[in-house]
Parts: sequence; structure tokens; C-alpha cells
Amino acid sequence: MADTMNHIERAVAALGDKPVDRLTAYPLAMGVCRRVVGDGKMTYRDWVSDPKKFASAFIEGQKRFDFDFAIGLMDLSVAAGDMGSVVRMDDQNTPFVTDPALKTVEDYEKLTVPDVKKGRSHVLVEGTGLFVQALGSQLITAAFLEGPLLSLTQAASAEKVFMDMYNNRSAVHKALKTITEYNGDMVKAMGAKKPAGLVWDYLWGSYSCLGDAEYEEFEGQYARGLNELTGKEGMAMCIHNCADLPHLDTQIKAFKPAIYSMAYYPLIPGSPSPKETIEKGYADNCLIGGQIDPRASCAGARRRCRRPP
Amino acid sequence: MVKIAQVAGFLGSGKTTFLIELVKVLVDRGHKIAIIVNDVGEINVDVRIVEMYGLKAKEISGGCICCQIAGNFANTIAVLQKTFKPDLIIVEPSGVAIPWGLKRAAEYSEEEMEGEMIVHAPVVTLVDALRIDELITSVRRLVETQIREADVVFINKVDSATQEKIDMSVKFSKSINPNAEIMFGSGRNNQGVREVADLIEKRTSPRYDETYEKEMLKREYGGKA
Ligand SMILES: Nc1nc2c(ncn2[C@@H]2O[C@H](COP(=O)(O)OP(=O)(O)OP(=O)(O)O)[C@@H](O)[C@H]2O)c(=O)[nH]1
Ligand SMILES: [Mg+2]
Repeated sequence: MADTMNHIERAVAALGDKPVDRLTAYPLAMGVCRRVVGDGKMTYRDWVSDPKKFASAFIEGQKRFDFDFAIGLMDLSVAAGDMGSVVRMDDQNTPFVTDPALKTVEDYEKLTVPDVKKGRSHVLVEGTGLFVQALGSQLITAAFLEGPLLSLTQAASAEKVFMDMYNNRSAVHKALKTITEYNGDMVKAMGAKKPAGLVWDYLWGSYSCLGDAEYEEFEGQYARGLNELTGKEGMAMCIHNCADLPHLDTQIKAFKPAIYSMAYYPLIPGSPSPKETIEKGYADNCLIGGQIDPRASCAGARRRCRRPP
Repeated sequence: MVKIAQVAGFLGSGKTTFLIELVKVLVDRGHKIAIIVNDVGEINVDVRIVEMYGLKAKEISGGCICCQIAGNFANTIAVLQKTFKPDLIIVEPSGVAIPWGLKRAAEYSEEEMEGEMIVHAPVVTLVDALRIDELITSVRRLVETQIREADVVFINKVDSATQEKIDMSVKFSKSINPNAEIMFGSGRNNQGVREVADLIEKRTSPRYDETYEKEMLKREYGGKA
């Protein structure tokens, strides 16, 4: 079926709750599109280390797949790396932290604000700028940043942070304040690149990890200021949370993002299906981005197909 | 067929100590084993008996398997299968990983394995009886998730825990997952390990994709497939 809307028309219609000619496509894991650049041999390490290479996956991926959005997710260890964590970068794997920078309570307190003009923060900002420049007139572009609590758990190991929330509360807050300051600098740097939106990864907004009070204490109070700043810097505030049992009331009703994307995880008792999320009214003022489980869409379908005789 | 066994539990619950004893038992029984752990550095196992792969399951958190990380995990399994061909892979996830999430990630590897199927062994969650007080206060929700999705709850460190703490651990576990089998033991004293090895060999745990499909059909069409 031929498309009758262009990308921006389609995305704007979806955002405005108007009919669209087909489902809008909002890709998050763009690392894979490095394989459609040039000879297809770009490594993951190269992709995350060079702004031009980072942007090229978005630009070439767009030619190939015709997406409606370009979302600048690199990986979840950008901030943690710039805070001094050792990040392993493989040829074919997403970079990840192998040795977290923050090991002791003093480390939380001694943490200083990473310079957004250095390290991979810089690569991310510049790379985002390049794909925004190339694609911004055809589709909706957005920067992507890790929220403070996510960055902290990446820089100090999640299990440790969760224990320290109780055992070393004030030190955890000290670190969160520092990271929030860094995030503020990142928002401003991203704002200068003029993407249409900025997506926050507020990953720990899950009832399987934190209740309402703890979520407010360890993320909500920091996120509010960043959400506001995002708007002030001229970007639509969006949220990505692919955890189970998401804090929908806080993240959608209170934070009021323009788009909320989530990977549904309905096997946990009480975790909402896409249909239930919409029925409960969360999609009334917010575009809900659901997911097509890559496996269900590829493997599941293939298993049901029969070869013609 | 590759069987995947998860030995879950919160930080310091004794997973690595337990897993080493478990692997010894299974290797003696003739299995070819690979281990995927959070932190390869701290383990000291005889490399002749096991193939080890490092994997940070850290990013697999709160139900989220960052799509790209899930790919890494699946790829690790597929590579193991092509090179080492274990019949059993034992996984030590981090304390914030969700057993269902890991099952899903493991099943992704089938795409890269040409006809090989993943089978899940019962999910074993270790509960640290020595620190049960702390577990049911500070990180309660995370521990609840691991117990809720366990097939076997193994009350660990009974060699040094008081009866009162052991009882408290049982009560807590049963209140969250009345269906799980409760076992007792100590990785350090090699107590209860053989019994867990028996279950891993003989039993299976449901697949993510099949359970997911059933659940979605039930929700969308009220149970009629
Ligand atoms: N008393 C007792 N202590 C144990 C037992 N098993 C492990 N420990 C101790 O518990 C601590 C943690 O053991 P590990 O086996 O490293 O636990 P783990 O769950 O792998 O830890 P992480 O990987 O750091 O989450 C160590 O100090 C062990 O010596 C046990 O059966 N009894
Ligand atoms: Mg361990």
C-alpha cells in the first residue's frame, strides 16, 4: 500500500490524535543501521566514537527504511563513561560498563560534573547535530539522554545504588545532583542543535524496583527540572521507559511528555498491555509508542510460514 | 537443544559460590557446561571443565532488556553454541535482572542457531538467609520480583543462619510465590546442591514466547485462541 502522507504529516497527525495512513515508525536501536553504511563493516566502537559515523547510520538507515522519527540513542553508558567508568567497546556489541567509576560512598560525594564538550558526551551532541541537520526537514528528530538515576546506576552498579538508597541516602543524592547538573548542560548543548524533541530514558520508573515515594525521591524531583528545561530549550519532552510495571501516573500524567515509548512486558502480573494502557486514558494527551517485539515479528511469523511445494 | 539455567539472587546472595559447586556436580554427571556471569574477574573455576563468557547483565534491569543488550546476550549464547556446544548453559544474572526478561533474551538466540531450540531449566532464586532483614526492607521490590518468577527458591547460607532467619526467609518467599518449590542449603558447604542439579537436569520452565502468546490471546480475546 502506498503512503499518502509524508513523515512529518504522519507524525504530526499521530501526535494530534488524527488519522494516519499507516502506523508511525519510531526506531530506537539505530546501532544496527551502521550496517547499511558504506561496505557495511563499521564496528560498533567506531559508530559510538565519531559524530560523523554516528550520524551516518541515521542518514543511510533513513534511505533504506523510511522511518518517521530519528531518535538519537547511542547506548546507556555515555554518561557513566564520561564519569570515569571503564566502558568496553566491541566490534559488534553495544558498549557497556565493565568497571564502574563509583565504588565507595566517598566516590558518590567526590563526583564532579563531566564536561559535555569532551568524551562521548561530545560525540553524542555533535552526532545528534549532524543527523538533525541532514534529516530535520523530512522527519521528526530527537536527542536521547539517560536520566540521572539511570546514569548513576550505570556508573556505580545498580544493585549497589539500590542498597545505598537506604544505607547511604545523602551520598546518593549528592551524586544525583551532580549528574542532574551534567544533564542540564547536555540539554542546553542538545537544544543548540535544534532537534524537534528530546527523549529521556527514565528507566527505573518501575514498580518492580521502586514504589511511588522512592521514585519521587530518587528520580521525580530531579526529572521535573530537566523536563522543564527541555521545553525551555525548545524541544518537545518525550520519555522512554521499557521497564515492566511502569510508573504511568508519574511519567505520563504528571510529567506530561509529548511521546511516551515503552516496551510492553505483560508477563509480570499487573503490567499493562498496550490496549489496557490506552483504555486507561494514558494516551489521551500523549502519543504512546508501543513496540513490536523483534522476535515475535520475525521469528514468530517465520515459524508459521510454509515453504510453497 | 540447549538448556539454560538461571541462578538468580540479589547482590552477595552466594550465587557464584553455589554455581561453582553446581557446575562440579553437573560436570561429574557428564554434562558439557558453559557459564555466563556478570563479572568473570571474581570467579576462579577450573577452566578445563567449563567455558566461561563474561556478560554484563546489568543493563537488563527492571524488566527492561535494552533491545541492544538482549541482542548481545543472544549472540553470546549463539556463539557458545557454535564453538563450544554445551548442553547446559548456566547464567548468573545481576540482582536487578528479571527472570522472564532473561528467558526472552535467551530465546532470541534461536534466530542465530539454525534449528537449535532453547529450553529453560527451572529458575533457581537464592535467598540469603543471613541478610533476610535487609533484603525485605531496602531492596524488597527487586527481591520480590526474583522470588515471584522463580520455580525454585533456594534458602541459602543455612550453615550460618539462625533458625529464626531461615523461617523468616521461608515465610517471606511463600507469601510471594506459594507455587515455588522451597529448598534449603549452602553453597559453601555443598549442601542441597545435588538436589538442585537433579531439578535442572530433569525439569523445565515455561518458554517466554509461548507464555506471552497465550497471555496476549487471553487479554485480547478473553482466553479463546
Ligand atoms: N555462610 C555462607 N556464606 C556464603 C555461602 N555462599 C557464599 N557465601 C559468602 O557470601 C558472599 C558472596 O558470595 P558470592 O558467591 O560471591 O555471591 P554472589 O551472589 O555471586 O555475589 P555477587 O556476584 O557479588 O552478587 C561471600 O562472602 C561468600 O563467602 C554459604 O553457603 N554460606
Ligand atoms: Mg557473583
